[in-house]
Amino acid sequence: MGIVNEKLTVQSKGDAPMARPPHKRASIINWLPLAPFFLFATMFLFLPSISIFIGSFKSVDGSFTFDNIIALFTVKDFINAYRTSLTISAITALGGAVFGFLLAYAVVLGGLPKGLRTFMTTFSGVASNFAGVPLAFAFIATMGNNGLVTRWLESAFGFDIHAGGFTIYSITGLSIVYMYFQFPLMVLIMAPALDGLRREWSEACANLGGTSWHYWRYVAFPILIPSLLGTTILLFGNAFGAYATAYAFSGSFINLVPILIGAQMQGDVLFNPGLGNALALGMVFIMSISMIGYISLQRRAARWLQ
Amino acid sequence: MSSNKRSTEKVTRRDFLKVGAVAGASALLAACAPEAAAPAANLPDLTSGNSIPLDDLIAAAKTEGQLTTIALPHDWANYGEMIETFKAKYGLTINELDPNAGSADELAAIEANKDSKGPQAPDTVDVGVGHTANAMAKGLFAKYKVSTWDSIEMKDPDGYWWAEYYGALAFEVSKPAIENSPQDWEDLLKPEYKGKVAMAGDVLKSNQSVMTVYAAGLSRSGGDKTKAAEMGLQFWKEVNDAGNFIPVIADQGTIAQGETPIVMEWDYLALANRDSLAGNPETEIIVPKTGVIAGPYAGGISAYAPHPYAARLWWEFIMSDEGQNIYLKGYAHPIRFNDMAKRGVVPEELAAKLPPAEAYANAVFLSVEELQAATTYITENWRSVVFGE
Repeated sequence: MGIVNEKLTVQSKGDAPMARPPHKRASIINWLPLAPFFLFATMFLFLPSISIFIGSFKSVDGSFTFDNIIALFTVKDFINAYRTSLTISAITALGGAVFGFLLAYAVVLGGLPKGLRTFMTTFSGVASNFAGVPLAFAFIATMGNNGLVTRWLESAFGFDIHAGGFTIYSITGLSIVYMYFQFPLMVLIMAPALDGLRREWSEACANLGGTSWHYWRYVAFPILIPSLLGTTILLFGNAFGAYATAYAFSGSFINLVPILIGAQMQGDVLFNPGLGNALALGMVFIMSISMIGYISLQRRAARWLQ
Repeated sequence: MSSNKRSTEKVTRRDFLKVGAVAGASALLAACAPEAAAPAANLPDLTSGNSIPLDDLIAAAKTEGQLTTIALPHDWANYGEMIETFKAKYGLTINELDPNAGSADELAAIEANKDSKGPQAPDTVDVGVGHTANAMAKGLFAKYKVSTWDSIEMKDPDGYWWAEYYGALAFEVSKPAIENSPQDWEDLLKPEYKGKVAMAGDVLKSNQSVMTVYAAGLSRSGGDKTKAAEMGLQFWKEVNDAGNFIPVIADQGTIAQGETPIVMEWDYLALANRDSLAGNPETEIIVPKTGVIAGPYAGGISAYAPHPYAARLWWEFIMSDEGQNIYLKGYAHPIRFNDMAKRGVVPEELAAKLPPAEAYANAVFLSVEELQAATTYITENWRSVVFGE
């Protein structure tokens, strides 16, 4: 979650446009305070990426090979895994973004009691970091076949959640589990962004005869769109890379890329780190594409701000 | 080999002993050269691999004074008691390297310390039996046949490794959730077990789960090993199609909570689970009637061991009746169990805590090659056959 938290602080500062300081020529001194960041990024982002890239072309005995990369496009299990991973990440990123935004809106601008906001942000802070084995177990223990809620619905209302063919051990079920940390993360990031909307802007819009729709369509939404897009991408990455939660929840029953990587790298059955690296390289590639998409969309969205 | 240089150096026997019997003996072993045996004529021969008389071995081990082990968690197969008893009995110290290392790590530790006699070089290892192939190919093991060699049921004919204990795959059943416990693999298909049958690991990641597939197939094929992998996948496809398979990776938590009321596990893990759950909930451990598969661990001595005599003494102790019963106390089935049961040297109170001894009489052991072939077939076809993808 390190990356998430880092993004979080960066994002929560720069949401609404502030008056820009006069443009100064950057000297080397100005860059110096960033040195720890660059060091960190090199050690935990660039070097591992390079190692993944190099590792992708290694066979089990260490010689050079293209087999791992070819396998990504030819082995049915791998293609399916990318498809499932992308589906789950997209569903939970969009779902988390929409509902998270609405909840953040309700809490910040909905005129709810102040105490509720503190409660919501605290809860979101905890819930967005609640993942892995404990999260999986929490859902198994509440909504599993023998879960508390499942049993309670059965005994109190005679309602069988499995009657319609639903089972928590499915792509839908795993999406619900992921939403548990996606949703609060969106709230956490969007709340400060919504705070950045100044009352003067909506008043100005009203003074000019604009309706609430006009305000949101032409003022608030365009201001918020960079944070909305950025957070959605963040949620996408968050779900795309989730491993421990999915593994504890249902092993390889749901075919996800991180699960396949885990099997190649650390099981006592399969062992082909090169293939694991190639699968990871595919994920890096997909994340890069979505980041590039994000940057260009964000540029377009923010053009009028400049 | 590493110590060719050392054996050509001009050292008198006295100097040699001064340097230390530890280094000398290991140089000897590593050199594996008959002429190197001459300077230490009073130390027992290591090259033949034959059992050394216990008194001579103890004396030689005492000059080394120490043993270096690796990957022996104290709560795994009762290694804690094994280590303490050994130390008290022979007055040697034990230097325990990373207790949580995996089999591959153990072999890597031998390889990495080939040229070092330091405290990070393990003398002995305890690895999953499948890993012995790799160790043999790289020449990491020294041969030695302990005095109880004949009654060891699984071993390398030349004495490079031997099984010390094994587990049999058993059903761990949570009693409140399941009224009638399944007694055999085919029972798992019954409608009453809908959504109740789980594995303790993932087939793509855990040898235990690969064996769970294989054992079911072995039960179906009537013991025909060549068909077991294929029939095992077919069996689990039926379990999944019937809605009986629940994909949660079962652990003590999910067993206690009741989500995974029937779990296939090595019996020693299941029995230890039963003890730590302490009746909340009540669990029953059942060894299936057919398709009883054994998962053995193999012991070996590093070919580069800094303390070769202490290592051999360690194995003499573990493979003795006394050492084997210590495994049994931790629910790991000693490899000499059948022999010991026949001679009546398994204590009553220990036997009473285990499933009946007859259940293990038919346990099937796989050779390293059979294990590898089955693993490859099962992992490659698991998703496509069982989940129809």
